[in-house]
This record gives sequence, structure tokens and C-alpha cells, in this order.
Amino acid sequence: MTTTLHFDQEVMNLLHAAGGEPLSTCIQCAMCSASCPAAPFMDDSPRRLIALINADLRDQVLASNTFWTCASCFACTERCPRGIDPAQLMYALRRYSIWKGVHREDLVGPDFSRRFVRTILRNGKSYEPGYAPAFIWEGGFPGMVREVQGALRLLRKGRLPLIPSRIKDLDGFRRMIGRIIPLEGFE
Amino acid sequence: MSDPKRLLIIDDDPDFAGAIRSILIDAGYETDVEYNPDDGWHALEKGGYDLLLLDIMMGRGAEGVMMARKIRKDPVMREMPVLIITGIREQIAFLFPGQAIHPGFVPVDELMEKPVDPDLLLDRVRSLIAAAEARHSKAD
Amino acid sequence: MTTYAYYPGCSLETMAASYHVSATEVARRLGIDLVEIEDWNCCGATAYSQVDELLAQVLCARNLALVEQSGRTDVVAPCSACFKNLSFANLHMQDDGDLLEHMNYALDADGLAYSGSVRVHHLMGMLVDEVGIDAIRARVTKPQEGLRVAVYYGCQLVRPHRPGQGMQDVEDPRFFEDLMEAIGADVVPFPHRLRCCGGSLIVTSRKAALAMLHELLRSAGESGADLIVTACPLCQVNLELYQAEVNREFGAEFKMPVVYFTQLMGLALGASPKQVGIGSEIVKAGSVLACRGAATP
Repeated sequence: MTTTLHFDQEVMNLLHAAGGEPLSTCIQCAMCSASCPAAPFMDDSPRRLIALINADLRDQVLASNTFWTCASCFACTERCPRGIDPAQLMYALRRYSIWKGVHREDLVGPDFSRRFVRTILRNGKSYEPGYAPAFIWEGGFPGMVREVQGALRLLRKGRLPLIPSRIKDLDGFRRMIGRIIPLEGFE
Repeated sequence: MSDPKRLLIIDDDPDFAGAIRSILIDAGYETDVEYNPDDGWHALEKGGYDLLLLDIMMGRGAEGVMMARKIRKDPVMREMPVLIITGIREQIAFLFPGQAIHPGFVPVDELMEKPVDPDLLLDRVRSLIAAAEARHSKAD
Repeated sequence: MTTYAYYPGCSLETMAASYHVSATEVARRLGIDLVEIEDWNCCGATAYSQVDELLAQVLCARNLALVEQSGRTDVVAPCSACFKNLSFANLHMQDDGDLLEHMNYALDADGLAYSGSVRVHHLMGMLVDEVGIDAIRARVTKPQEGLRVAVYYGCQLVRPHRPGQGMQDVEDPRFFEDLMEAIGADVVPFPHRLRCCGGSLIVTSRKAALAMLHELLRSAGESGADLIVTACPLCQVNLELYQAEVNREFGAEFKMPVVYFTQLMGLALGASPKQVGIGSEIVKAGSVLACRGAATP
């Protein structure tokens, strides 16, 4: 019952219901980094991110793109010799940064999450064209042209719907969501 | 002067919990803090708290709702007043743009939104404890 | 006829329609009835857990409750991400009474309830474990002989592991190869068969995803495969739709068809290319299938 909480404990509190071992047991063996196919694109490797957390460097952790660059492939989680669950850790840090509204401005991930979740709350189902176009600016104009080309290819093959699919019982669905998140009404 | 009242804060945000804890301690309350629902529940099971100050967004998500419901099902714990202090609007309101929080929904006595005004907080704490005591003496 | 509840998932309604068509065709030919869950909703993909895991959980709980309501005990999901979400949501509710109770409180607002009784299968798991590889082999009328396939597991078909699953199954699974060999295909060694395709990074971290796809396509190309065979719509779309962009980005010339395992199975069980949705690919698979004699009538 200390008044200050070390950052690794704060992070573990986000994971209190998950099965992984405490981050403090990490031996820095780097099996997670070696198993991670996205590691070359991370500011900090998974191993280093855990080291930063354990060193209480909260701001440095939150400024990292690492947890938004995880593809949820779970290779690290399967292989960690200490039973830590780095993939769940990445989810937890995303939650933490979304709830606090703290993340790097140039990242697409947080906005994508928000849009995706909103789409499902609205329709009950996901609808690719609804959220994809917002992110093609990343590649500038050429990127947009390429994305449109891709979409046209799918359209031509009948693989892109023009109107989003919705579940029938949207009212019941929303009432159900409203019991998990205590906010009143939708739309 | 009777024994000081015992309060429990369950909130995953150490800065916020620390801040309201010192307000409550200054006002003469004995105040404990737990930072996740599991530890919070264990503390509640030991008993003896006169009021719980409960956060909503913790751990996996809106676990405060789950906890408040569990407390209301417990024949002993349900006697304890629960004050929810939440930043849920800021935390995930992007899901429901422009919508109100639904305080009557969670089975608690009172709901406050972060950031809280210290005087208002103490006012609510005092009146919730007083109301609970009045209920008890009526029952006796 | 054996009946399973069927959870197609959002992708199979749109970008992966050929997976849906071929899965249905394969099931029909094996005497299995896949009954689509009435009014199912999105499984939450990966985006929900990073906002609120309980919200992600309740989306799956609703689908499982609908299965229970229909009186069925087993549900089949063809998408690996849906499979992972449904099966782990199910395990969490079975392990945690408080969580199950809270989910039921939410489900009740939608007139539903869930007891935790449903068994969740990946479509491939159901075919391998419940129908059996030998039984499938016995039904093959058009073995896919000479067709060199790179078997691509991806991630969530095997990872994270489920209780009772051995380490071997996670690091060196064989069931997908066994299944493809049972339909007569020639499985080539594909070192990257368990390496991630990048998933939704294609949207959120394009550079990383393209590099990951490049690695996979290079590995599959070097293995001498005619095509890549997948069991997940996200893998299929990433590997196929973004192949042109990988080629541009890395100066490569991949023309690697990427098909669903059910498309090849369907052909082997005697279906026509059209009946298994061949023709809706961006990178054409028809000619390589025809050239290998695999898809000729």
C-alpha cells in the first residue's frame, strides 16, 4: 500500500486477470525479440520495452511505437522461458495509452482501433471500406492511388460490398453493450 | 470522538488515487488504496470499510461495473456505500460521441466524474456515510 | 449427416467469399451440415481488446449464446482470428465464474444466456480431428497430383496454444501438411509457414507489413511452390491483394496465387473450379491449377 506505484506494477495491474508471469521476472534473454517478425520496425524491441518498463521509464515506454507495431502473432508468448505474455502486454499498453489519450501523434493504430470499434458498435459487423480509406493518406497521393487500385481489383471480383452489412437485432445488441460500458443510448 | 471512518479506494491510476487519498486522510479518514480489482476484492473481503471509492476503467476494461455488481450481491458488502469516481467519459467516450454517462445503471450510491473537486468529494463522502449510518440505526 | 453451427465471420461475407463458398462445398461433399448462426455479430477482431477486453468478450459471448440457443453443441469458424477470439472467450468464461456471470448480465439485455457448454473449432481442426484425414483421403476422387503447395499456417490457427495442445503442435505442427497430402498435393518445404503475415499492420504499419509479406513470398517462391494455401482470410488478402505493392516496394516479380485449403479440398473431392470460388482471385490460380491437371474436369 505504497503511495507511489512502480510503472511495472501499474502495467501488471492491467494484466491482473491474464495468466502471464510478472514482468519483473524477465531475464532479458531476448527470445521475444528474436521471435518477433515486426521487431525491425519497432522503436524498441520487445525485450527492450520490458526493460524500460522495469526501469520505471514510463514516458519513454508511452512514446514508443512498439506496442502499436505488434501484429498479435503470439510467437513471443509461446516462447518466453519465464512465462511472461508479451503479446498480452502489448494489448494492455494499447489500452493504457488509449484510455489516457497518450500516444505518438504519427501512429495510425490508435485511430484505427477507435474507428473499428465504432463501426462494430454501429453495425454489429465490421465493414472494411468504412475505415480503410482514412488511412491511405499515410502513403500520400501515390499511396491513395495504389489503395484505390486495390479496392477496384476487389470490387471487380465482387469482393467488396458497397453497403455495410448489419445485424438484425441491433437494439438488443446495443442494450447488451450498454451493460458492459455504462453509457446511455447510442447514436 | 468516535473511531475514524475507514475508506477504500480501488483505482488503477496511482497519481489520482494518491491525490484523493491525501485529501481524505487530511479530512481525518483512514484510507487504503488498491490498484486492481483482484487486490481490491481481497481487501473488501477482510471487511471493515465504511465506504468504497471505485474506479470503472481498470484492468481488462470496465471492471468497476463488474465489481459494483458483485458487491451488491454480497449480503454483507452490500451495506457499504459505493461512490464511483470515473474518467470513463474521457477514457472511451470516443465510442459514443456526445453521450451521457448513465449513473443509475451501475448499482452504486453515487457517481462522480474525474477530475473531482476536493470539497465536493468530501461532501459526498460525508453524506454517503451519514446516510448509511442512518439506515443501520433504523434497522436496529 | 453431422451438423455444426457455423460462424462465417465478417470477412467471409465480403473479401473472402470464396472461402465461404468452398467451405460449404467441402462440408456438403463430406456429409456435414454447416448451419449458419442466426444473426451473428463481429468477433471483435484484434481492435476490441485494445479498447476494452470485456467488450471484446461480450461480442464473442453473444455468438456462443446464439449457438447454445439453437440447441447445438459445436461451432465451426473458418477464420483463424475469429477462431482465436471465440475459443479464448469461451475458455475465459469457463474458467472464471464472475466473468461468465457478468457476460450473462449483459446477454440478458439481448434476451440471451450462455452456460459455457459450446465447443469451438477451427474449420480445419474440425475436418482433421472430427472427420479425420483417412476418411477425407478415402473421399478424394481427383487427387491434386503434381500441384506443389506451400502450406501456410500463419498464427492464430495454432497460436496461442490451447489447453491440451502440445508444444510440438505450436512449433512444428503437421496437420495442415497431412491434410494437403491426403488430397494428393505435393507439399514443398516452406520455412516461413508459421511466420506472421502482418495481420492488421497492413493498415496501421504499412512498411512493417509489406516487409513481412515480402519475406513470406520470397520464402514460398524459393520453395518452388506453385501456390500458397491458407486457412485464414486475413492471410489470404494480405498475401494476395498486397503482392503488387510488395513487388513495387522491393523490385520483385511475385505472381504467387494464394488459395484457401477448402478450394483445393473441394477440387479433390470432385467439385468444379467455379463451385469452390476459383476465379475471384487477384493473382490468378486457374491456370496453374489447370496446368497441373488439378482443376481439369
